[in-house]
Amino acid sequence: MARSNFYDLSVYSEPDGKNTIEEMAALSKHFCYKGIAIINSPNSCSSKISACFDDFEIFSGVELNVDNASKLHGLIGKYRKMYDVIIVHGGSESINRAAVENSNVDVLSNFGSLKDNGFNHVLARSANENDVAISFDLGDIIHYRGGKRVKALSNFRKNLKLVRKYDVPFLLSSNARSCYDLRAPRELIALAGLFGMTREEAICGLSTTPESIISRNRPSANYVFEGVEIVSVHSDIVSLDEGDNA
Amino acid sequence: MKVLPPTMRENKRYLAFELIADAQVSRDELIREIFSASGSLLGDLGSSECSIWLFAFDGLKGVVNCEREHVWQTRAALATITNVKGKRVTFHILGVSGTVLGATKKYLEGADVFNPEEQSHINE
Repeated sequence: MARSNFYDLSVYSEPDGKNTIEEMAALSKHFCYKGIAIINSPNSCSSKISACFDDFEIFSGVELNVDNASKLHGLIGKYRKMYDVIIVHGGSESINRAAVENSNVDVLSNFGSLKDNGFNHVLARSANENDVAISFDLGDIIHYRGGKRVKALSNFRKNLKLVRKYDVPFLLSSNARSCYDLRAPRELIALAGLFGMTREEAICGLSTTPESIISRNRPSANYVFEGVEIVSVHSDIVSLDEGDNA
Repeated sequence: MKVLPPTMRENKRYLAFELIADAQVSRDELIREIFSASGSLLGDLGSSECSIWLFAFDGLKGVVNCEREHVWQTRAALATITNVKGKRVTFHILGVSGTVLGATKKYLEGADVFNPEEQSHINE
């Protein structure tokens, strides 16, 4: 398997999780991740965390957990400029709907429940249009046993079918709240294989999709505005002008 | 008795792993937990196809063997192990090899097992 850059975009640290950012980052680095995003809820993290230690990046993220869809849009507008990754903790139909219809949202997570799959073809289509990724929370397969895990696996299988049909971007995440919840990328690929995801798709969910989310939200120095980027150096333009005059 | 011809033998793969744990775990406890996890995730049928076995374990590192075609199911089953007798653990597969020697030489010798309490800083 070719070496890819793996990212886990949903990791909690203190006070939402049990371990500090340093502990989570050290273990993720040991597991050969290229970067993680710390996604505590907005109330619990006072300042924006974003750091880069030789070859390992920590992205700042925020998980929005609201009970009212109209409140969601306001919060997204407020946090968009402050964080690299915005994750909406879904749940009810209206919140899931609001999240996939807002192109400022990066990821929709935890949208299903035990009874309801939470994801359908309507949401899939607007997720594709607005480029909102949905996350497969593999922590459910790791921590549940018996009936709950059966339900989680069958929900994942249904969601995968929709993802393939409507070409929705997706992520694999461990949703780790302590360092013992983290799993290495290949273990996550193996877990994704349980519900029929191919290895190529799983690698895409661990590296390509997170990379595109990060690059979208962290514009490079040459970025002007959406769709416009400086690609060549000035000297080329000058020489072209001279050519026209002659 | 005549020995089994090589073509009829099971094709095995050896998975070198490290166990990240917050307390000492014994071999017997770990074996019990591996079987319970694979029984729960893959069922009796799937477990019989995988034929998972803890080949060696020294408290920190070890080797699990399984059937060649079912390495990914074995990995998934091992990934679902979260605790052994109340001690929190994480399996980290370091590599897969076709021989015990290959697995130990390539992946286990000199491997530094991660300890969350001691290595809680980023090594620069």
